[in-house]
Amino acid sequence: MALLDEANQVRTEEMLLNVGPQHPSTHGVFRLLVKISGETILDADPVIGYLHRGTEKLAEDLQYTQIIPYTDRLDYLAAMLNNYAFCHTVEEALDIQVPERAEYLRVILMEMQRIASHLLFIGTYLLDLGAMSPFLYVFQERERIVQLFNEISGARMTYNFMRIGGVKYDAPPGWLDKVRAFVPFMREKIKMYDSLITGNEIFLDRTRGVGVYDAETALAYGMSGINLRSTGFDWDLRRKKPYSIYDRFDFAVPLGQHGDCFDRYYLHLLEMGESLKIVEQALEQIPDTGPVLGKVPRLIRIPAGEYYSGIEGARGELGFFIVSDGKDKPYRLKIRKPSFVNLQLLPQLLRGQNIANLIAILGAVDIVLGEVDA
Amino acid sequence: MSEEQPQQSAAPAKAARGQEGGGKAAAGAAPAAGRAAANKQPPAPDPRVLAAKEQAERLHQAVADRFGPEAVLESGAAHHKPMLRIARERWLDAVNYLRTHPDWRLNYVECMAGTDYEDRIEVVLFVQSTELGHFVCLKTQTPRDEAWLPSLVSVYPGVNWEEREIYDLLGVDFRGHPDLRRIMLDDDFVGHPLRKDYSVWAETERPLVDGQRP
Repeated sequence: MALLDEANQVRTEEMLLNVGPQHPSTHGVFRLLVKISGETILDADPVIGYLHRGTEKLAEDLQYTQIIPYTDRLDYLAAMLNNYAFCHTVEEALDIQVPERAEYLRVILMEMQRIASHLLFIGTYLLDLGAMSPFLYVFQERERIVQLFNEISGARMTYNFMRIGGVKYDAPPGWLDKVRAFVPFMREKIKMYDSLITGNEIFLDRTRGVGVYDAETALAYGMSGINLRSTGFDWDLRRKKPYSIYDRFDFAVPLGQHGDCFDRYYLHLLEMGESLKIVEQALEQIPDTGPVLGKVPRLIRIPAGEYYSGIEGARGELGFFIVSDGKDKPYRLKIRKPSFVNLQLLPQLLRGQNIANLIAILGAVDIVLGEVDA
Repeated sequence: MSEEQPQQSAAPAKAARGQEGGGKAAAGAAPAAGRAAANKQPPAPDPRVLAAKEQAERLHQAVADRFGPEAVLESGAAHHKPMLRIARERWLDAVNYLRTHPDWRLNYVECMAGTDYEDRIEVVLFVQSTELGHFVCLKTQTPRDEAWLPSLVSVYPGVNWEEREIYDLLGVDFRGHPDLRRIMLDDDFVGHPLRKDYSVWAETERPLVDGQRP
């Protein structure tokens, strides 16, 4: 058998490679069927659903307040944001006024959650690319955030803290000061990560110009969050459709230029800094006292109709669509899952790439399988 | 409320709109809530709803002018967003038309969801224009027993997986979809769980294959 083909290239055969579902770099149970020829990817077929729990179906038998803990388990790295997205949709539907102090507490928690989630992205992404220690580093800072969340909500991961009309508990004494102390600490750490990672030549080689797409493609594929902003398209729901009290804060929306994996990494880093700015301003403006739960009927019934609202989650637009028939349970609940939508472009990005880039591209999409599969 | 003078002339119009809204609720989302809505005095119309209805009217015009009046089944408001219900035969054309129409340019899909209403299956598309700022809700519907809709993948590639999910969980056949397979559930799963008549006990009712439950 000839080793070389007509074009004098080493003869290769098509091969089917199964990545996952149990593979550390797939961030959960995600399976990717890759067709390769030599080291070039010809096609990829993502297989999802291994973590499908039927949250949307379960919600049809739950009262609105009972759904909140289920939202924790969607994107379990950003549970506060999920909590908020759901409560926000119900509040919009009922025109519920949320007390000032609760709004500020929510914003502080949401932005801290965004930082925790982005930190973990940086850690796992570097781990995917072969750098072991950043993963251990980021857990130190994340631990501080998780400790703070533990103090206010009593849980480290699935908080179940937001309520329709406010939050469950007021901040314990001294908690806000601890957050205040966390801001400069985290700022230093961001600088440290920037100097450790951003200029690293191996990292740049692995990520620059890899997994590139333009804004038009991203919009056509309905992408959101950093995956969309990395192309330079200015789209942040905190700015475009301000919800909660985000119109009161001064922060920038960092944008990418090339739409490659490096931009997506770097935006995560920059967004952490912007989130810190928001936390800092919220800490200045938060009223010292006041209720943290608004006037909400004991049994929440949403008038018949359809309600959709989305927020800027850690991974993109996180939305809830509620169809109500006037009862205390939703007739239909649909979750607009950012990582589910963002993941769709993956086969197209992988085609023609070297197999070594597979993990770099997949990691930069920043998926959480709990959310993809819901 | 502050306009004392034109109130007399405006009142019947407002009442008519309120009636219309009540009627829509009864026909649309909630068969059970219809009676309650008819008995209750319609509350003062929300300006956001009125603005949405007005925009929906313009959408209605745009689509009806192009595809004929039978292409649009209904226009109104979905909460504070303009809503347009399009016949399924015209679904793909009308959505594509609104995507490219210079007045609308609905280029960015936010959310697509299917709902089983027991007499029909409805698919909702929340879509917006990133340039012009419109945010509208487009709907279409299909009978349950012969559930098919034209696929929008050729227009918005991003609804590929959403349509697969609706196919998987609600059993709507999207004609023209490039890769219509189950996405969340097993390939050999029987039934569509988000249909209202789906029984969670259906598993035990599955036929035996080679003496085993598939």
